[in-house]
Amino acid sequence: MSETSRRGFIAVAGAGAAAGAVAATAGAAAASDTERGSGLGSGGPVMVYIENPAAGRLTVMSGDDEVDVTDKDLVGRILRAAGVR
Amino acid sequence: MSSHREAPEISKDPVADGTDVYAFVSPDKPSTVTLIANFIPLQKPDSGPNFFEFGDDVLYEIHVANSGRATPDISYQFRFSTRIRNPRTFLYNTGPIQNISDAAWNRPQTYTVTQVTRRGRQTTRKVLGTNLPCPPVNVGVRSTPDYPALARQAVRFLPAGKRVFAGQRADAFHVDLGSIFDLGALRPFNEAHLINMPEMNGRNSTQSFNVHSIALQIPIEQLTRTGRRPSGVSDPAATIGVWATASRQKSRVLDRKQARYVGVGPWKQVSRLANPLFNEVIVPMAEKDRWNIRPPSGDKQYQRYVYRPELAGLLPQLYPGVFPRLAAYRKERADLHAILLTGIPAGVVDGFQNFTGPTPADMLRLNVAVPPTAEPNPLGLVAGDAAGFPNGRRVGDDVVTVELRAVAGLTIPLVDPSFTPDDAAAAVEDGTSNTNAPLLANFPYLGHPGGGYQTEPGTTSVGSGQR
Repeated sequence: MSETSRRGFIAVAGAGAAAGAVAATAGAAAASDTERGSGLGSGGPVMVYIENPAAGRLTVMSGDDEVDVTDKDLVGRILRAAGVR
Repeated sequence: MSSHREAPEISKDPVADGTDVYAFVSPDKPSTVTLIANFIPLQKPDSGPNFFEFGDDVLYEIHVANSGRATPDISYQFRFSTRIRNPRTFLYNTGPIQNISDAAWNRPQTYTVTQVTRRGRQTTRKVLGTNLPCPPVNVGVRSTPDYPALARQAVRFLPAGKRVFAGQRADAFHVDLGSIFDLGALRPFNEAHLINMPEMNGRNSTQSFNVHSIALQIPIEQLTRTGRRPSGVSDPAATIGVWATASRQKSRVLDRKQARYVGVGPWKQVSRLANPLFNEVIVPMAEKDRWNIRPPSGDKQYQRYVYRPELAGLLPQLYPGVFPRLAAYRKERADLHAILLTGIPAGVVDGFQNFTGPTPADMLRLNVAVPPTAEPNPLGLVAGDAAGFPNGRRVGDDVVTVELRAVAGLTIPLVDPSFTPDDAAAAVEDGTSNTNAPLLANFPYLGHPGGGYQTEPGTTSVGSGQR
């Protein structure tokens, strides 16, 4: 900084300045999708995310796509498989 | 700063952490605009054996809005791919890397650039380049003996007169992080601080640290909504909005076969950056992570923090008696709202405007009709140099000083002539200057990264007066 600006500042100051995620197979995820996208499936890993089990809603992710699924029975079976009561 | 580790979540994910965005009319090629987005903050050059690199699992993007809606009318997407040439060595390089395709470089990284253009409901994707090479990092004098040559080889031409570079660069941003985040201290004004100490020069915290940069140089007419160069500064199509993002796939899982995490699901934004320091010092800590995952077109919910910035209230408290007029100012900060969220309308600054419409959105706004300045003033528009920040941002612009002074009230008279700023508003600064690597005169403009071998360690210090 320049001396000029430092002095200007100090002068003004003055002296007083003092859920759960479950891996699944592609076959299981295909159960009852409602919003299937174009890129889902085709051999890669599939992730199922159940944010709110009570609502019976799943998000199924594969590749760079996802679909939302509402299937309380499927959610129940996944929870039982995962040992969640 | 300016967005290095600026939010709790992204500070734990440095590979996706955007640090700075620049947008300026290229000084040596004024028929083009240069867009730069930096990522991976505060890279210590001597960080072997696993040096810094772009994330193969990250989608990096530079967005351009040109239709006044603060939505991405054009996005340039970058995806990286890294391979290991020799799986039987622990070394990054098995000998001097003499050129960018040298087999001695054991971990080359390449990338693909895709342009996504959106007009109404129509989206067009065009791959601009594939298998484009990054340079290696600057390992040191033995491993990368001619680093400038390696960097030059990584500058590639893309269709329709565009150029691209992606790789390590020296950080060009300067700031005194150690002081500012120690209760808002500015070392040159230590004596005036509430907890006063002897004054001293600022310390540039980013000096000697590197970043990873993505740089594009694009003919102006490819960025405007009319497809033409604007007729003049007042042309409504002359201003573009620019921001950068990084995205990760929505979920990831540890793949035991590959011994690494793999991404699954759609790409979700995890980092966003346009104006320096916006998320850093405007947005409250509790909202920073959410801000990072949102689009700029939804920034209306954050404008209250621009109208009444916390820092403007802190300055008079931290520096008692220094900012009495700022402390007494009760109106909304329309000056900051224009600078950061809408652009400056015509009639505020003589012969200048970079207004992009009423939608409040954090974007760098560049009026591409303003020609480059022969001798740039680092204080940009507030110093009468309309080719600099906040008209876009050049790599040499001193954005910390500009924003400190603006928050301190220096720009209020632009919209409220009845206000006279405190004298200190024109003097306040953190006391740092650009002591980083020298900038280049040509694309990609950012200086060459510091070398690992040449790096000297900093100090570990418990200072006087600290119990």
